[in-house]
Amino acid sequence: MPQSSRVLVVGGGPAGLSAALDLSDAGADVTLVEKEEFLGGTPKKLHYSLIAPDLRNVDEVLGPLIERANRTSLSIRTGCTVSGVEKREGEFLVTIKELGSGKEKQQSFSAVVLATGFSHWDPHKKYEYGYGVYPDVIDFKDFEGMLSTGKIVRPSDGKAPKRIAWLLCVGSRDRQVGKFYCCRMGCVVSIKQAMEVRQKHPDIDTYVYYMDIRTYGFWEDKVYWKAMEEYNVNFVRGRIGSINRGDDGRLLAMAEDTILQRPSEVPFDMVVLATGMEASEGTREMARLFGIELEEHGFIKPLDADSMPVLTGVEGVFVAGAATAPKSISDSVTEGSAAAMKVLGYLAKRRMLSVNFSERAKV
Amino acid sequence: MVFRVSVMKALLGNKKEPAMIIAGAKESAGETLALAQSIFSQFRADFRYKEYVRGCLNCGECTTGCPAARFYDFSPREMLQVALSDDPMVLYNAMQEKIWACLQCYTCTMRCRFGNEIAGIISVMRELAVKNGLESTKELLKPYSRVLLKIMTTGNQVSPDMIQPDFFPDWGPSATSKQSELSLLRKAIPIDVLQVTDAAWEVSLQTSLELFEIYKEAGVVDMVAAVDPDLVEMIEDIVADWKDEFEEMKKEYDSKVKQDA
Amino acid sequence: MLNADQIRSVLEERAKNRSVSDKKVADVREEMWTLHDKGELTVIPITSKNSPLEVETLFGWKKKIPTDYLWHHKSCGQCGNIPGYPASLLWFMNQFGTHYLNEPHQTSCTAWNYHGTATSNPVALAAVAVRNWYRAYETGTFPLIHCGTSYGDYKEMRKLLIENREVREKVREIMKKLGKDLVIPEEIVHYSEWVHVMRERIAAMVRYPLANIVATVHEPCHYYKMVPEDAIYDPRVYGGQRPAPPTSVLLALGAQVSDYSTWYDCCGFGFRHILTEREFTRSFATLRKIRPMVEEAHSDVLITTDTGCVTTFDKSQWVGKVHGMDYSLPVLAEVQLAALAAGAHPYKIVQIHWHSTPVEKLLQKMDINHEQYRKEFTEYLNQLRNGAKPELLHAPRLEIEKYFAVNKGNVISEETK
Repeated sequence: MPQSSRVLVVGGGPAGLSAALDLSDAGADVTLVEKEEFLGGTPKKLHYSLIAPDLRNVDEVLGPLIERANRTSLSIRTGCTVSGVEKREGEFLVTIKELGSGKEKQQSFSAVVLATGFSHWDPHKKYEYGYGVYPDVIDFKDFEGMLSTGKIVRPSDGKAPKRIAWLLCVGSRDRQVGKFYCCRMGCVVSIKQAMEVRQKHPDIDTYVYYMDIRTYGFWEDKVYWKAMEEYNVNFVRGRIGSINRGDDGRLLAMAEDTILQRPSEVPFDMVVLATGMEASEGTREMARLFGIELEEHGFIKPLDADSMPVLTGVEGVFVAGAATAPKSISDSVTEGSAAAMKVLGYLAKRRMLSVNFSERAKV
Repeated sequence: MVFRVSVMKALLGNKKEPAMIIAGAKESAGETLALAQSIFSQFRADFRYKEYVRGCLNCGECTTGCPAARFYDFSPREMLQVALSDDPMVLYNAMQEKIWACLQCYTCTMRCRFGNEIAGIISVMRELAVKNGLESTKELLKPYSRVLLKIMTTGNQVSPDMIQPDFFPDWGPSATSKQSELSLLRKAIPIDVLQVTDAAWEVSLQTSLELFEIYKEAGVVDMVAAVDPDLVEMIEDIVADWKDEFEEMKKEYDSKVKQDA
Repeated sequence: MLNADQIRSVLEERAKNRSVSDKKVADVREEMWTLHDKGELTVIPITSKNSPLEVETLFGWKKKIPTDYLWHHKSCGQCGNIPGYPASLLWFMNQFGTHYLNEPHQTSCTAWNYHGTATSNPVALAAVAVRNWYRAYETGTFPLIHCGTSYGDYKEMRKLLIENREVREKVREIMKKLGKDLVIPEEIVHYSEWVHVMRERIAAMVRYPLANIVATVHEPCHYYKMVPEDAIYDPRVYGGQRPAPPTSVLLALGAQVSDYSTWYDCCGFGFRHILTEREFTRSFATLRKIRPMVEEAHSDVLITTDTGCVTTFDKSQWVGKVHGMDYSLPVLAEVQLAALAAGAHPYKIVQIHWHSTPVEKLLQKMDINHEQYRKEFTEYLNQLRNGAKPELLHAPRLEIEKYFAVNKGNVISEETK
């Protein structure tokens, strides 16, 4: 079977876009398959509002990537998924399915980049936080969506809240729900959200309940310190253990303030749950179809997490972005580029190996 | 007498052993440390320690729902930190009073993100307080002796005839005035085994004896003896009488069966 | 405050969102059957004779609830101080023709004492559990646990015996001395789980409708906080976010269920505190639970499913009047309220006269002529005084059972009812 030298990128989020664009710039024949009707991945799908640490609009951050993608010669197939994979003589025979019509088409590819990303953890599973019981208990995706509309109102009665709490590590760092790892993004996103609220509505009081604040690197001063010093976001060192029905239709957050070393109960109008990141359904499905191992937390296992983070255990299949672990948009973009580089190297090596030097020598 | 000697030693400036008067403790400071070290070893050696005690971030989720933390100088977070501490005196001091504030509701255990079984480890500390016959524990359990008697002989804890006005005045007259016609009121319960006043239900003699056998074999009698030896003596007398009664009834029953046969 | 209809519609929508946690917890029942196959212990099975019904627990695991041929594992606190609690349960079982055994050959689980004073240890607790379970086993019945603390304790004992070989061997040794074997019931079943699966049949018996009764639910800690993976959760009740019984029963009965701020809080029983440190228990129960139920939720009745909780709430209210707190919130087990609604005699069966906080005003709201019933009961007491034989829910024990645990094998026949 002749080598197609075509590359498939699965997933049109930050990592996928980055990989596809870099590959296309280098002259590769790239097909980008994306489940949604639009590009941009989870940040666009869930209507993320502003991106930390500079609090830039998501369109400002992802817009250039999406715009370039539409201008290049990439073959972009939105509204499509990969529904089947066959390995044949070093090529991947991939069935691409159009979700709207159900039509399927097979194409062969020499290399694949999986960039199918993450989904937010479902907080219905942490019963005592009341998600699904009290409408004013919302999670990250709910609140980002609300922030991007510009109107902050309580889902229960449509009124403006006076006091909002964030509860970090929901679906992270918790043996009780089987999600042990840290999501890396919960702290910076929560604090960023609190800053956004305070920017637009300085009359709304904001409280962040935490065990630790993990605002790495430049996020420390640009987000954490700024939130405290310029926006008066309040921080309580201790967790909320249950969210209950308060008086006057408010919520009651039962917590412990571990610095004061006493239980505390504070009424809030809204509580935002900082929901963690887990491998998306698409990621798990691609792993299954391509025969890729999952590591112990359920994400795609790279060939070596430290030295070969964008290679998988299957030759010709590469991976980038949140499909391997929780990470930021900028790290996903970086990995997309890294994966593109690896693909190019892989294709070049194969081309060299496919040349029969002994035949040429006869001439 | 022993207590006074310790105090005198301290006042007379025995520099080697600074006086440490811990609630109810009659031992000298050196003895206290030795006891604390022994208890510490027993604590770490208990099979439940490894299962119940894991990491702790001091996140406080355990304390959010703790009933005792709202009324006492106590929190499950503190207790888990005590369990993690390498200082035997920290454990020993907590065992004097603090560990008894816990209500054993298990809210902390259900919520702990590390999977620590905090209410369980507090039980381990309590068992050791009893086993080692701490003075403070003896004091604490003194008002409980009637219940201990009831449970070791019948397996019930609080029988109807124990709701006396002297012991439960705050339950109100409706609860305590039942005593005047207790027998009659119990007869009016439509379940025959409940028509007794000295137990929750009538326990068969065989069952009482089996229970005591369990307590003996499992070391519970020894545990209770460490805090209330007189009570154990009393119970053993009662059980000895019952054993005789049981043997007699067995003979009577066996002969009856032979007769009927 | 959501009424029953509102709750129902919200929850039906949530039903499809109910998801099983990702928690990697081993189902101890799998290991239990492995040990049974190896001959290390004997599982008391739930068979078709027990007419089991299936429910789901916290992670969506299936649990069998036996509904027939049951061994009543009584609660010492109920039988001692709230006798209408077990009487109401047995009354319903009689209505349904359920076969059961209620006998003197049972000890309490002893966990009240353990949690209160720690004058016991895991081996003793496990041996007490097995001794009781064995009694059910040798009579061909399946244990139904009346008390919440017994239920929590027995779930823990099951885990202990299965996971810890040393304890298992020690308990086996003790059982041998008593002429018994190591047995574990296939499921640890709380009586409220029986009421939960029978709730439609119970609801069909309602004679005094509960539509204008507002109930607040107190979920007993030991029902769902001990071994949390084994408690009933149902997407139709709180969207599966809180345990189903007894809210499920109240909804089936047509009562209104009202939420309040301290739903997850303990009652304050404390095992030790209720006996020797009651300043705490009565303060906690009143300020943390009863006050919000009355002031926030406007409750007519506090419903719960555990001995200690009923005791705490019922007995802690009188003294509050000294501080001007006269909440007078009647306290009942769900099965007692159901019995009252189904027309059971408030005094002869439900035994409300043992409740310190008066229940009469609730009966009034339910249109039950409690004065008439009271007269009947006073007359009944007179008859008893004059030597009449007491009316019984089931045949009395044999004389010999004062001493010996007889009746081995499949004991229950139609005549024993």
